[in-house]
Amino acid sequence: MKSVWRAIGTPVLASLIAIIIGGIIAAAIGYNPLQVYGSLISGAFGGAIPLGNTLAGSVPLILAGLGIAVAFRAGLFNIGAEGQYWIATVAAVWIGYHFKGMPGFLHLIFMLVVAMVVGGLWGGIIPGLLKAYRGAHEVITTMMLSYIGILFAQYCIEPGGPMLEKGYQPQSPAVAQNAWLGSIIPNSQLTWGFAIAIVAAVVVWWILFHTTFGFQLRAVGSNQFAARYAGMNVPLYTVLALGFSGVLAGLAGAVQMLSQDHRLTQSFSSGYGYTAIVVALLARNNPFGVILAGIFFSALSTGSQNMQLVSGIPQSLTDVLTGLIIFFVAAERLIPMALTWYRRRKSGRLQVSLPEGGRTDG
Amino acid sequence: MHRKIMASSLAVLTMGALVAGCGTPNNSTSTTNNAGTTGSSAHASFKVGLVTDTGGLNDHGFNHLADVGLTKAEKDFGITGKVVQSTQASDYVPNLQNFAQNGYQLVIAVGFLMDGAVKQVAKEYPKTKFLIIDDPITGMSNVTSAIFNTEQCGYLVGAMAGLMEKQTGLKGINNKNVLGVVGGQQIPPVTSYIAGFQQGVQKTDPGATILVKWANSFSDQALGSQIAQAEISQGADIIFPVAGGTGIGSIDAAQSAGVYAIGVDADQNYLAPATVITSATKGVDTATYDVIKQAMNNKFQSGIQYFNLKNGGVGIATPNSAVPKSVITQVNNLEQQIINGSITVSATMK
Repeated sequence: MKSVWRAIGTPVLASLIAIIIGGIIAAAIGYNPLQVYGSLISGAFGGAIPLGNTLAGSVPLILAGLGIAVAFRAGLFNIGAEGQYWIATVAAVWIGYHFKGMPGFLHLIFMLVVAMVVGGLWGGIIPGLLKAYRGAHEVITTMMLSYIGILFAQYCIEPGGPMLEKGYQPQSPAVAQNAWLGSIIPNSQLTWGFAIAIVAAVVVWWILFHTTFGFQLRAVGSNQFAARYAGMNVPLYTVLALGFSGVLAGLAGAVQMLSQDHRLTQSFSSGYGYTAIVVALLARNNPFGVILAGIFFSALSTGSQNMQLVSGIPQSLTDVLTGLIIFFVAAERLIPMALTWYRRRKSGRLQVSLPEGGRTDG
Repeated sequence: MHRKIMASSLAVLTMGALVAGCGTPNNSTSTTNNAGTTGSSAHASFKVGLVTDTGGLNDHGFNHLADVGLTKAEKDFGITGKVVQSTQASDYVPNLQNFAQNGYQLVIAVGFLMDGAVKQVAKEYPKTKFLIIDDPITGMSNVTSAIFNTEQCGYLVGAMAGLMEKQTGLKGINNKNVLGVVGGQQIPPVTSYIAGFQQGVQKTDPGATILVKWANSFSDQALGSQIAQAEISQGADIIFPVAGGTGIGSIDAAQSAGVYAIGVDADQNYLAPATVITSATKGVDTATYDVIKQAMNNKFQSGIQYFNLKNGGVGIATPNSAVPKSVITQVNNLEQQIINGSITVSATMK
């Protein structure tokens, strides 16, 4: 029970401290912090439409965040969710406007599955194999592949690109309308994509904590040498964990296309894949925590737009706030490290005669 | 335990500071954005909302200029203006909706990336008027589109660059006859400038080589600098960046290499006074201002409004002292010829 409280308490505390410091900054530059936060909250949760938009904005963050959390659980850092998102998006949109005759429901599932497979290949199988058999670090490979993915998506709708639709706008044709995810709250951006995100979180939780696969994946993450000694196939789990991670990032891309954009447009600066890393960190890689953290970051972003409208505060303040939260979440791990170091130094000074690594309490 | 105490004391401390912060008078907050409502306050109920694209207000380009136009309208007419900066593409629709929902009479969408969003929201709020910059939307009675014939000002700066190349003994101009263009992205608002530039150079200096390189970014200054350096090493001595924030880096690179640059969208001479010989300007500020005026006086016109050399919607900034008088005279002549229609400039790149 105590550990549960600690797990929930620390991220909440980190966010609170960040919010308070953000308020001080707002006050220092001449805005009323209460009004600023009031407009932030009302912009994110005040009414059906803002709430719908906040939940809608959390969908890609939750899905990609789940992917990153899975990789973290296996001791791997998938930094390339952004590229996996875009490469899967390209595939989903292509299928979306090429097979227009299909029944909507089948077409939808077809797009989701292809996006997941492509995301999985891009994020998992390629970097996973490179890591497992050639020792190439996944931070480098996922990041580099991510750039390729983003730039490829950009190329697709550039003049001469394979998916460019004729006309003034650089964009691809739209996905067949009967495959779009329907809206839950009218006039808001919330669609059934949110339900997909929730289901995905439950599935990830179940796989991680209630299957042998999940246990082995976490075992590899905790100590791969012990896992190998216990007879687990570590390279296989490296590939599968990164693959699973990419599948979720790919799903994020497809769901977003089917809910919001419906086509490739010039929106490559979304940064969902990067924010998702912070979402996973704040959630401490807990699938349900990812839902909350995703909604939290989406609320910051949705609310900040209203905050500008009501209080006239610059958009940059929310970036400051996000930065502070990340800092405190990271610092929360630094504090015990600093304390341990301090204690060790102190005890080291008292017992100089002890051989290195010697401990009195052992 | 230790940590808990530390954390809670920190929280108490910051909370105290926060409360102290609340105590300070903040009465100025509500007025900061409507500075100078000294004009006819009768128009204060006329509310104009401006939504930037993801480039943000500090782009030294069209988002910034739209804000300049709005601020001027606030000052002159005493209207109420508010700006919301979009962080990502999915913010466009809610931001536009938000303004319409809050009773803003005119909502300005800066940038053609908001095409789909404006079409959707304008349909949902038929009583609200919309202005979209750089994007042709027709057939909606509550939407007006501002289109800028930037090929015309591109032509003039191109002609000036060509004439500069032909000068002898100008510091910083070599004999290789090469010009460098840094494009942000291959989209119509960018390519029209470059198309004009090419035709202008062709007119005054047909033998010149024009290097065109794409940054695929409007915000990467380091990349802009890198591309300009590459072009300079290939002999380019006048750099024309059409790339928003990316171009700021290109101008920096031109400055450090001791060659010249041409600004874009706004008069960018202030960035490097000796380097930026002139700028191809796009009057997003005047367009915004004009449309606000039209909407206020119930003279809103739906459909496309063209802004060109003739009506002062595009132009070139006053050249700096590096440009010889004879060059300026010739460029002014060409400007007259475009205005009276004896030269037509195409908006498509070669």
